[in-house]
Amino acid sequence: MKIHRIYAVILRYLYYFKHSYDRISDAFYWPAMDLLLWGLTGYYFASINHNAVNAVSGVITAMVFWIFIWRAQYEITINLLTELWDKNLINFFGAPLKFSEWVVSVMIVGILKGFLSFFFAAGLAFLFYKINVFVVGWHAPVFILLLFLSGWSIGFFVSSIIFRFGSKIQTLGWSFIWLFAPFTAIYYPVDILPKWAQFISKFVPASYVFEQIRSIVFRNTVDNTQLIICLLLNVLYLTLSLMLLNTSFKKMKERGLAKLY
Amino acid sequence: MLLGVLAPTKGEITYFGKNFFLHREEVLEDINFSSTYTNLPWNITVKENLTFISYLYSIKNRKKRVAEIIETFKLEELQNKPMSDLSAGQLTRVNIAKSFLNYPKILLLDEPTASLDIDIADYIRKFLLKQKDKWNTSIIITSHNMAEVEEISDRVIIINAGKVVANDTPENLAKSIQMSHIKLLIKEGLKKAIEYCIKKNISHIISNRYITVDIAEKNIGDFLKDLAEHEISYEEISIDKPTLEDYFFQVIEKK
Repeated sequence: MKIHRIYAVILRYLYYFKHSYDRISDAFYWPAMDLLLWGLTGYYFASINHNAVNAVSGVITAMVFWIFIWRAQYEITINLLTELWDKNLINFFGAPLKFSEWVVSVMIVGILKGFLSFFFAAGLAFLFYKINVFVVGWHAPVFILLLFLSGWSIGFFVSSIIFRFGSKIQTLGWSFIWLFAPFTAIYYPVDILPKWAQFISKFVPASYVFEQIRSIVFRNTVDNTQLIICLLLNVLYLTLSLMLLNTSFKKMKERGLAKLY
Repeated sequence: MLLGVLAPTKGEITYFGKNFFLHREEVLEDINFSSTYTNLPWNITVKENLTFISYLYSIKNRKKRVAEIIETFKLEELQNKPMSDLSAGQLTRVNIAKSFLNYPKILLLDEPTASLDIDIADYIRKFLLKQKDKWNTSIIITSHNMAEVEEISDRVIIINAGKVVANDTPENLAKSIQMSHIKLLIKEGLKKAIEYCIKKNISHIISNRYITVDIAEKNIGDFLKDLAEHEISYEEISIDKPTLEDYFFQVIEKK
């Protein structure tokens, strides 16, 4: 791998970010709106039932951490779609860029933008509601890593489908991750899900992270075994999704990258 | 396929004596391309496009190279405009400019001057020839513009239905056609001239008082003598040697 080629791809997406109001609103507007609506809704419930005050803190903290998984996935699929819309894949892969370098680049872009949106939302959470999401302490880097791994797995899985069917299934680029959201139990404990949904949750790595975030916020305890299960699931899914992505890319090259749009 | 964006079903591609698929990155460092049918990212500026693409290649002093390319291709006024604001001709110019970023030893150009203004097309053709000599760059052009191909190519390969049907210099290919075009402005005897052509089975086109005939170069003398004998007089005459386009049509018609 060559660093300058990875930098080229990152630079291309940063330039795009600079010029695209859609991307700027993705990074700032939506996190701010989510925070505002969920926070106000939470405080409304807390005004009815004072026991719910702590729950608001748990919901907001989890919501801010959700940004990592969302951005990690989003940057992969939307950047791939952008290349399809711009017909730019030939400029990339008709140059010495390796596919693995593109993969690393979109992961790095996801990290950069994930932190950008996270710090923005964390700042707003403190400003609006006096909620400190860093209450999770030194576990934060572990949670963040695990959420990135989850986001990348989903992002690469969706990208492999995009490589197969092109932009006609582009809606998956921004909607697919929400299929997992109910089972991820971002805003509520897994316990409240129906039994069949709880079973599915066991296979959704991010659900372990959000359970542990709530555990810290409410009880100040963390079950490391749960985090290890999460890591193992993430590694398994990431490996499978990357294998699938690589196969889809090779299949696409058999049809020709110019035909992908 | 020559860029590796389409996988071949069989066969191999060799550049600089190296198997392309085994040495892809190394080989592509010395190759670039431009096509009217591909885009550069739409909503970022010309300079930003050139900058990020310069990082895809191992170029020394990228900033200087981008500035050189902007100057050489007269892109100063366009450099801060997004691609979406450019005309078709300007887009082609930027695409060609981009293809020279990495000092390519082999340049693949697909319809390089399609949709360009005449003066810019002429400038690009001259520029390509200059670059070819200056950097010892081999340029492979796919084009339907035979006049352009004839002007800038040392060697022409004509592919019809996936098969190579000709492979030679443009001059030799054109020479292989016996027919020349003779255009005459008939002063008197246009009807007789048409009858003569029909009788002798000579291909001809009439336009007002002009008649254009296709005739073998060695028979031109006899043809003009026959016209005099039939009391057909003319005011103007022009004789055009066969071109690559004539050869192309001949090959396609045969097929």
